This record gives sequence, C-alpha cells and structure tokens, in this order.
Amino acid sequence: MNAYIGIAVSFVLAAGITGLMVILASTLGKKNSTPVKLSPFECGVDPFSLPIGKLAIKFYLTAILFIPFDVELVFLYPWAVLYRQLGTLGLVEMGLFLGILMAGYVYAWDNGALDWQ
Amino acid sequence: MNGATLSDVALLVPELILVGMSVALIVLARRIKNTPIAATGTVLAALGAGMYSFWAVSEGTQVGFGGMLILDGYSQFFKVLIAATLALVALLSVRSHDLEEVPRGEYHALLLLASTGMMLAVSSLDLLTLYLGLELMTLCSYILVGIAVDRPTSNEAAIKYFLLGSFASALLLYGIALTYGLTGATNYQAVASVITGQGLTENPLLLVAIGLVAAGLAFKIAVVPFHAWAPDAYQGAGAPVAGFLAAGSKAVGLAALGRVSLTAFGEETYVLSLVLAGLAALSIVVGSIVALAQTDMKRLLAYSAIAHAGYALMGLMAGTREGISATMTYAFFYVFMTLGTFGVVIALGERGRTLDGYKGLARQRPGTAALMLLFLLSLTGIPPTGGFVAKFVVILSAVRAGYVGLAVLAVACSVISAFVYMRVAVFMYMREPEEPAPSSFPVAVSAALAVAALVTLIGGISPGILTVWAVSP
Repeated sequence: MNAYIGIAVSFVLAAGITGLMVILASTLGKKNSTPVKLSPFECGVDPFSLPIGKLAIKFYLTAILFIPFDVELVFLYPWAVLYRQLGTLGLVEMGLFLGILMAGYVYAWDNGALDWQ
Repeated sequence: MNGATLSDVALLVPELILVGMSVALIVLARRIKNTPIAATGTVLAALGAGMYSFWAVSEGTQVGFGGMLILDGYSQFFKVLIAATLALVALLSVRSHDLEEVPRGEYHALLLLASTGMMLAVSSLDLLTLYLGLELMTLCSYILVGIAVDRPTSNEAAIKYFLLGSFASALLLYGIALTYGLTGATNYQAVASVITGQGLTENPLLLVAIGLVAAGLAFKIAVVPFHAWAPDAYQGAGAPVAGFLAAGSKAVGLAALGRVSLTAFGEETYVLSLVLAGLAALSIVVGSIVALAQTDMKRLLAYSAIAHAGYALMGLMAGTREGISATMTYAFFYVFMTLGTFGVVIALGERGRTLDGYKGLARQRPGTAALMLLFLLSLTGIPPTGGFVAKFVVILSAVRAGYVGLAVLAVACSVISAFVYMRVAVFMYMREPEEPAPSSFPVAVSAALAVAALVTLIGGISPGILTVWAVSP
C-alpha cells in the first residue's frame, strides 16, 4: 500500500502545479490586446481553408489495411528473435497466424479495397 | 510460452473448428452471397465443435498452455451450450426480415468468431485469457448489432453498445490490473493462493479489484445497474443477433463469473456474495416491473432477460458447488427457452415485432401459438417446463445459503413476470386476429424451434437427464 503513495503524491503534485501555472498566467497575466495583436498570425490575412488541407477519404481504407500489417510485424519481430527456442511449434503457430491474416487480406482484395477508383 | 506443446493444441480443437470455418467463409464471402452455404457451414462447424467438446473430456481434466486454458466438465458443459446456441442462431438467421440486406458470409463468420471468444472465455484459467475471450466475443457482437448498415436504429444500437461495452471492458481490465498489482498473478489458482496467504484485512484494495471484475462481468450478463445497453441493443439489432446476445453472452458471463468467484476469489466469497445478492435483487425487481410497460417484443424480452440474469445470479451468490451447479442448470434451460421465444418472434417476421402482432395468433396458426405458449410458460417458471426446474434449483440454493428474503422476493417477482408473459398468451388466445396470417416458416426455423421446445419439455419432465452434466469446477 505505502509503496503506491509516492506515485499518488506525484500525480497530485503534477496536476496541482500545472493547473496553478495555467490559472496564474490567465488571471494575473497582463493583457494588452490591440487590433494588430488580434489579427491572424504572420501575414495578417484570414485563412481560407483548414491548415491541414482536405484529405481524400480513400486514405481511410489504406490506413485501416495498414494496421493489420503493422500489428503483424509486432508479432513477427519477437518470433524471429526467439526462432530457435520456439522450434517447430513456433513455426506452425506463425504459419497459422499468417494464414488467418492473409484471409483478411484476400477478403479486402476481393471486396475491392485495393482499387484506387 | 512456457511449456506449450503440440498436445496443448488438442484443448483448442473446438475453437479451431469454428475459426477454420470462419476463415473459409471470410475468403469465400463474395461468392456465397445469398446462398444457404454460410448457414449450413456454421451449423456443421457448431455441431463439430459441440460434439468434440462433448466427447473430449472423457480423458479427464486437462490443463494446457502454461495453465492458461482448462478442459474440464465445467468448460465442456458451457462449450456444448455455446455450440448449441450458435447452431440455433444460425438456423434462425436463415430468413429474418431485419437481416435481409446483410451479407451472409460476413454475418456467419462473425457469429463463429464470437462463439470462439465465448469458448475461450469459459475454458480460461487466467484473467488475461478470460479478457481476451470476452473481448473477441464483444468486438464481434458490436459489429453484429450494427451489421444492418442501412438501418439507422441498428447503427444507433451498435454505437450505444460499443460505448457502454468499452467502458465495461475498461472496468474489467482495471480490476485485472489491480488484482495483478496486489497478488502478482493473473492465474486463478495463483491469485487464490496469494489471497489465502494474505487475507482481506491486509489488502483493502482487493475489495475494489473484486468489485471491478464483478462489474465488468455483470455488464456482459446485463444485470441492473449494468443493463442499460441491453434493451436498446436488442431492439436495434436483428432478432437472431438479439437472441444470440441474450442467450450466449449471458451464459458466458455467468460461466466466467462462476469460475472466477469459485477459483480465484474463493477465499473472499462472502464479499462477492453480497455484491451478487444486491445485483440479483435489483435485476429481478427492475427487469420484472419494467417489462410490464413494454410493447415492443424485443424490448420486452430484453427486460425479461435482465430479470432472468438476476435469477441466475442467485445460484452463484451462494458461492458453493451446488450453487454453481444451480446457475449452470439455469443458464442451460434459459438459453433454450429464450432462443425458442426469439425463434417465434423471428418466424412471425414483421408481425412479431410488437405485442399487438400476437393478437389472434392461436386461431391463425395454432401450432406456433402453442409453441410460444410453451416458451412463455417456461420463462414464467411453470411446470412441466425447464424454466420451472431452473427457477426451483436457484431459489433452493439461495434458501440454503441463507438468503431467505431474496428467495421470497424472487418468488414474488415471478408472479409479476407471469403477468408480463401471460399478457402475450392472452393476446394470442383471447383476441381476434387483426393482421393476415403469417406465411409458412422455412424448414431451418421450424427445426430450431422444435429443438428448443424439445429441450424445454424434456428439461421439465425429467431434468435429471440434462442436469447431470451441470458439475461445477
């Protein structure tokens, strides 16, 4: 029990000090707002689109397809490191895993997730 | 993994059968669009998995994967029950009017994967494997609830279920983390031995851990106050999916809670008993009373399912082997009578949605009305049906455990719920028909109804045949 009190105290301290700084800055800070200061940053022209721009919705499918392969790598890497210790069983298990993953890939392909148009 | 060998894979054969069929359906999804192949494959896989589970345990209890999974009478019982649920739901999905636009391959693949998660959860001997199984089940359930993408109610139900479900998963995971922090183990037996050594007085945080794990599992069983998702999810989901959630999800939650409370937190049973007694009392009262006000059939069944979850908890509450056997018996009969009721709702199509649709059914289709009456009598708990046996054993175990007040409350609420169910019966038998007679049912739906009715009747007439398998871990 006592071992955890230190963590709790540090949480409370962190939240307290950060909160205090924010509150002090916003209440005590000197505000001298002039029209120039309130105009948009840098060139003074109102922005006419979102700074990140528009993104094609097609990327969402690509992003979703990316995730399984990313996760696959997370599993493949430690397996490759321990390949000799895991032996045949490890190989069989990894084969099964890749097989199931490929089923999802085939499904995505079959349903046209890889067609850009 | 420490000591996982090829022979451990034998423990996973039922799950592998289901996963194999699911992967095959996913690969073939586009080629089997509107054919009964998906349903046939699902039923075959369920039969295979169920039969393997039934025969496999004759070699005795086996533990594998470094003590993470177990094959014993308890997991065998629930695996067979899950396989039966899966087969019945697949049969009932053959022609369901609210699932017409749904791609068949994907739908059945998700049902199979959800059942795999259920089987893993009931055979797990480790909090993490339990979490993994339950998550596999719930993730598939979220999609199944929202699978009719062109229906806004389905989407709404899925989002509600997802938000509340994620919250409950977080509670469970937090409970597991606290348990690990306090005992240094996630394996049930290891947790139990640490708790025995330390005792509760040294670890008040353990109360929080047990409470959180119980709350996370109570959400899957949908007991008050963790029930809010159920009526909305059942109403928005297709009727077969609602039946799957009401039967399967509940049975698995009860199974998991039973094993955790007896094996892992066995030393602190009295803490868990108090929590469960409170949950049971609330669910029985709220479920029975709120069901009175429902006119939508799926909502009515959702509240009835909440009340039934309360009854089922009365067995676990005792914290004894007899109590857990009582809950297993309850879960078994509950699954068949609930799926039977949902089956009639599905078979009647659009007409089965609201209570008014049942008016005059006995005159138009006497056979269907008689089946519905059987399931309703069973849900009420009137002999000679399985529902009576189920209620009898759990109330008996509550009395033996000393919760006489709760037992009286349960019997009183049974009377209230009789009013709920008999209202449907009165509509069927004592009102004039207002709508044209429903068209004839597909063979698959009739077969599922027949199986459910048969089990409900056999269970009521000679329960010994079935309850002999209900052995606690």
